[in-house]
Amino acid sequence: MALLETDGLTKEFGGLTALEDVDIAVEEGELVSLIGPNGAGKSTLINTITGRLTPTRGEITYAGTDLIGMEPFEIAQLGVGRTFQTASILPELSVRENVQVAAFAAEHGSFRVNFLSRRDSFDEVQRLTDDILATIELDEKAGMEAASLPYGDKRRLEVAIGLATDPDLLFMDEPTAGMSPTETEMTVELIENLLAEWGMTIFLVEHDMDIVFDISDRIFTLHQGELIAKGTPDEIRDHPAVREAYLGGEEQ
Amino acid sequence: MRTDNVQPDIEDESSLLSVDRWDRIKHTERFIFLVSVAFVLTFSYLFSRAPVISDVTQGYHGLTITILIWSIFALGFNLLLGQTGLLSFGHAMFFGTASYATALFSIHVFNEPLTIVVVGMLSAVAIGVVAALILLRLHTVYFAIVALAIGQFLYFLANNPLEGITQGINGLEVSRTPVLGVVDLDHEYGGILGELVVNNLYLFVGVFFVGVVVFITRIRKSPYGLIFKAIRENETRASFVGLDVWRYKFAAFLLSAGVSGLAGALLAVNTQFAGVERLYWSISGDVVVMAVLGGLGTLAGPVIGTFVWFYFKGIVNGYPMLGNYWLLMLAVSFTAVVWAYPDGLWGMITSLTAELREPKALAAKVKRRVTGGSSTEGSAGGER
Repeated sequence: MALLETDGLTKEFGGLTALEDVDIAVEEGELVSLIGPNGAGKSTLINTITGRLTPTRGEITYAGTDLIGMEPFEIAQLGVGRTFQTASILPELSVRENVQVAAFAAEHGSFRVNFLSRRDSFDEVQRLTDDILATIELDEKAGMEAASLPYGDKRRLEVAIGLATDPDLLFMDEPTAGMSPTETEMTVELIENLLAEWGMTIFLVEHDMDIVFDISDRIFTLHQGELIAKGTPDEIRDHPAVREAYLGGEEQ
Repeated sequence: MRTDNVQPDIEDESSLLSVDRWDRIKHTERFIFLVSVAFVLTFSYLFSRAPVISDVTQGYHGLTITILIWSIFALGFNLLLGQTGLLSFGHAMFFGTASYATALFSIHVFNEPLTIVVVGMLSAVAIGVVAALILLRLHTVYFAIVALAIGQFLYFLANNPLEGITQGINGLEVSRTPVLGVVDLDHEYGGILGELVVNNLYLFVGVFFVGVVVFITRIRKSPYGLIFKAIRENETRASFVGLDVWRYKFAAFLLSAGVSGLAGALLAVNTQFAGVERLYWSISGDVVVMAVLGGLGTLAGPVIGTFVWFYFKGIVNGYPMLGNYWLLMLAVSFTAVVWAYPDGLWGMITSLTAELREPKALAAKVKRRVTGGSSTEGSAGGER
């Protein structure tokens, strides 16, 4: 059985159909990418699956659990993490604290009565925080205020927060947007590392087609809210509907 | 490996007042505890009896007790606004309800200061549960205004329909009994202790003040302190990392209600009175001003803000001529401080001391100001 499955997922905003009958299935351990022109419904799909939006119709199942009607924090606690397209960090907290908040959620669950215990007494949380900071190579900037980071580092911190929730399935919404070529390369390496060594399943939304075709196991293509193609990178590259809707216009 | 490099540096630092060392010490719980104890022990003396200083401040002992109690209130309020980012314009509901509960319990059930203070505090928590269930569905302005409305609802409720219980505008009297049947709150000390604390009532309130400071320090250092700040900064993100934001807000609300209620209960013991005006909306406004004036999100800020507020109300008020304009002067000072330093008086103090640490930068800044400051403007607009 697939790790994540949607069945007939539809999201309407008033008269506008943002998603129409989307059926996708993501297997454990694979890296799938979602592509599509601007306004195709990519972010709506992620927001619907992770609980930010409620679908109009359809089903979402994660590891056998029905996600419809669940709060975002409940979905996160099931092991579905996400990073945001615009760096959604905690600006006035330090880099370390940003990661630590997520580590507390991962280690302690959604709520715990511990307001009389010191946070540095929770070793497992500190360890997870340190691990993530080292993995993302932000450990040298751990003490800095998040707002003062350069843009590329903010994006990396965004990924670090997503990772610190210790997800089994991670949605990454355009993680390399606005990154320098070096940072992009680092992020791609990180993603490959997450797959190979952390055994994570990754759902990537990405505009950089080189990256998508290079690292994806499978690709979903959305166009005007409809899933018009799914398959391996080779199948998608030659798919007439995809070329028509998307690649033809932008990639020459 | 990195720690190996750092450790010797710290040990080599033999100077007692190195900046790094001070930065570490000043945030430890023990230091904060000792400072709050020292503050309570010297505050009344310095403000009302010390030579020279008290001549300038013209303070008196009774006012110091009031300031300690209201500081507790401002600290409790700050727990919600400063830590968690929830602005309530109805905190009088906890203050006033606790005051009434304290008085009613002392009259009808059992009169012992510790017991009635705890009862008052718990009553505020109970009101907090109900109010939170209504308020936590709302955001920003709606949260603030509905909090105000609940507070006013309780005010009118106490003033009229429940007049038989609350005695309306006449209020209730709280007769004074010894703490645990032994310690007389009115007992006045002689000698050094008398110079410092005067009487047991001051000590009684002072112990609660220190307790609240220690309690809030611990909350700030607990996971809650971090999670409250995360909710303040970015609620959406906090929920997407897997935190039940509603329950943490609920917890913050109850903690804030409890501390605010403690202040209301202590005020009833201090004044031997509980009245309907403590539920009035202006009380909610006063505590907002105190916390914001001193500096939100800090420990010292609300205490400093409370002090300044009462300094105007209790001392400047008594000045010939000028005294009539104490509220006007307070409002002008408030506006000026918050305009120049959005982080309040405590923010002003910390940023000034931070500048003093960098004498060269400070000198350059002063020089720029004196010479016309042309160099600053070029760099400010440079980064997008």
